[in-house]
Amino acid sequence: MRITLEVDVLTNNNRAAAFNRQLFEETNTLVINIMSSPGAGKTTILEKTIEALADEFRIGVIEGDLATEKDAERIRALGAQAVQINTHGGCHLDARMVAAVLPQFNFEHLDILFIENVGNLVCPSGYDLGQQHKVAVLSIPEGNDKIPKYPTMFMRTELVLLNKIDLLPYLDFNIEQAKEDLSCINPQSRLLTVSAKTGEGMDEWLHWIREGVARCKKQ
Amino acid sequence: MHEMALMGEIVHLIEQDARSKEMKQVKKVELLVGTLSNVLPDALQFAFDVYKVQADNCLTSDAELIIHTERARAICAICGKEYEPATKITQCPTCLLPSGNIVAGETFRILVYEGSLTT
Repeated sequence: MRITLEVDVLTNNNRAAAFNRQLFEETNTLVINIMSSPGAGKTTILEKTIEALADEFRIGVIEGDLATEKDAERIRALGAQAVQINTHGGCHLDARMVAAVLPQFNFEHLDILFIENVGNLVCPSGYDLGQQHKVAVLSIPEGNDKIPKYPTMFMRTELVLLNKIDLLPYLDFNIEQAKEDLSCINPQSRLLTVSAKTGEGMDEWLHWIREGVARCKKQ
Repeated sequence: MHEMALMGEIVHLIEQDARSKEMKQVKKVELLVGTLSNVLPDALQFAFDVYKVQADNCLTSDAELIIHTERARAICAICGKEYEPATKITQCPTCLLPSGNIVAGETFRILVYEGSLTT
């Protein structure tokens, strides 16, 4: 028996993403999916962001890792709610994993939800989680060639945080080249240079988040 | 990219549909894979071969996977020329600008499967 199915392979993921997106919109929650290689500084950026915004906004975090609660513990130490997803070998978060932990949050009492994806510059870019914004973190030690080498990640993110700029004097990272490569791949994307460690450039990132929350609340 | 997980999705979607039609076995699967979909056909075939020898799904151990290729096409937003981009970072061969809107090549769909009501 020959059956014509004609269905997108990611149809179940996309359905879950639509469910998540509707919940985020109905509750006016700003949801940001943060992606990068392992070690680029996602969790440190989140720690500093939560410290800076704790008095203004109610913040929740979903942490994605293959194993351990380490990242969620770092976030909880700051007083924010964090739920850890362990993918047990899976290289990315998908929308169903996110949907499964959403009931643990009280969205009536949440302004911002950060989703820290599994550290990986490839697979997470292919999965819609229902977020409004995708942000990529690239760090100075990784080298400026990563933007053209991993185009699927950077062509879908609207903001790139170039982290660890305090290490710029010690390494050969060409920021102008990175900006040029990004504008070729994704002309709409912005690049902000930051150091989560020293705090340099973080104001502009915080401003971008504040604008995002304001847009969510207006809707 | 992550063909093992994607093949898991494919097997799951087909199994769901086959069960709803009370089919016992699936002997053939046909996919449409775009050249810009970030999916490697060889890795998909490997993943399919792994799944079909496992007893916990409806694929027969000699099930066949057919991968149809969708060629990439882009239309230049500046001059309107239609061309086949080599990568997702498009560049118009006429005006050399990276302004192509990709209109084909990103598809990743299950087209057809063949099953039987008996084992």
